[in-house]
Amino acid sequence: MNLEARELVCDYGPTRAVDSVDIAAAGGSILAVFGPNGAGKTTLLRMLSGERKPDRGDVRLDGRPVSGSDPAWRSRVGLISHRTGLYRKLTVGENLAFFATLHGVADRAAAAARALDGVGAGELDGKPVEQLSRGQRQRVALARSLMHDPDIVFLDEPFTGLDPGGAAALETMLRMCRADGKIVVLVTHDLRRGVELADRVVVLRRGRKVLDGSASEHGAEDLLRFFTAGGGAAGEGAAA
Amino acid sequence: MTSLRWVGVIAHKDLRIEFRAGGRVVAMIALAVLACFLFAFALDRSQVSARHVAASLTWLTVLFAATAGAGRAFDTEEEDGAFRHLLLTPIPRHAIFLGKTAANLVLIWMVTLLAFIALTAFLGLRDPGSLTHHGAVFLPGTIGLAATGTFFGLVSRHSSLGDTILPALTFPLLVPVIFFGATASARVFMERPWPEISGSVRLLWAFALGFTAVGSILFRYVAED
Repeated sequence: MNLEARELVCDYGPTRAVDSVDIAAAGGSILAVFGPNGAGKTTLLRMLSGERKPDRGDVRLDGRPVSGSDPAWRSRVGLISHRTGLYRKLTVGENLAFFATLHGVADRAAAAARALDGVGAGELDGKPVEQLSRGQRQRVALARSLMHDPDIVFLDEPFTGLDPGGAAALETMLRMCRADGKIVVLVTHDLRRGVELADRVVVLRRGRKVLDGSASEHGAEDLLRFFTAGGGAAGEGAAA
Repeated sequence: MTSLRWVGVIAHKDLRIEFRAGGRVVAMIALAVLACFLFAFALDRSQVSARHVAASLTWLTVLFAATAGAGRAFDTEEEDGAFRHLLLTPIPRHAIFLGKTAANLVLIWMVTLLAFIALTAFLGLRDPGSLTHHGAVFLPGTIGLAATGTFFGLVSRHSSLGDTILPALTFPLLVPVIFFGATASARVFMERPWPEISGSVRLLWAFALGFTAVGSILFRYVAED
């Protein structure tokens, strides 16, 4: 399983948010995308997940173009973001049951229980989401996003607001996703954690890709160099 | 799973949240009761027959309350980014639109019933006409209100002006619904025979189905980036 994006371009009015970015991620690997604020990371993730149609370029899975308007594609995608996407007035169980129903999960109760146990939140099932801490909500959001067993998992700043326990649970889940052969695309500001988890790293700056390489070859300090104009010039075109 | 089942799942979720949170329901009901109260006291019944104006006042009350409710229809979707995840589920976009319209419709029916009872009581109308005929008029009219309100509720969310733009977007489109709705309801209040009412009801159904169909088709373009 290979996810590829070619020549992706996205404009917000006169501003080019993503400029001719090529990207590739293989099954059983984690791709981490870094960059300073406004670099185009989230926009790139939204195009990869199909939430936003690129103004130019395309996204392909195993050579076939994918589109966010295709339900079959959406059923293969899981998204975890810094906003949990949970309904506060529903309980944890009701939230999971709702999304499980929409994803066509066969045994909703068992899938929800399994997903909650997987993130160490099994005891939260009957609690209203509005009564949970930020870290607990993020764990539930993680369970919700993985409950339908997606092939491709997109994460948009998932560590924001997580306590150390929650962050560790998330890291474990991501490693399990990789072991299961899923494609994981992670957008984060957390350089150290991102580099530790990832197999490949990409750095964006002002919408352009300034580094694409193996995580083992680039430490967090090394990546930080590419955030600045001088480092970008040096790293332009770098690839594994 | 059929689209109809998905519509039910979305509507059930919305109503469960609305009745648990209470905010939108209370706001709509409060607005409706207040409007009925003010209309009843503003009316000089020595000059105007209550039976002649009851239909217009009911429809205006329902319109104001429905618009206020539609402006908040997407609050729960956006308070923690749930709409992004809802759009990433494999269900068809039109099922989301129809589900949210159905939830809005239930709330509008509650307001309509309340406004009807309140106005007939405040205006002292002991015999408001056939309740079946009233229901036959309000059903297509409120479907049109719910579909238009749901669609433009999302449009206004994407506007920098937010909810303030909602009446400006919806009221011009809803003129035919209010006109034919008030005309038909007035005839029911006047206890006119069904053949004199059915023409307006057919037009109301045409608007209701038209708004719902157009909203279902266009919703995805507004919902997606």
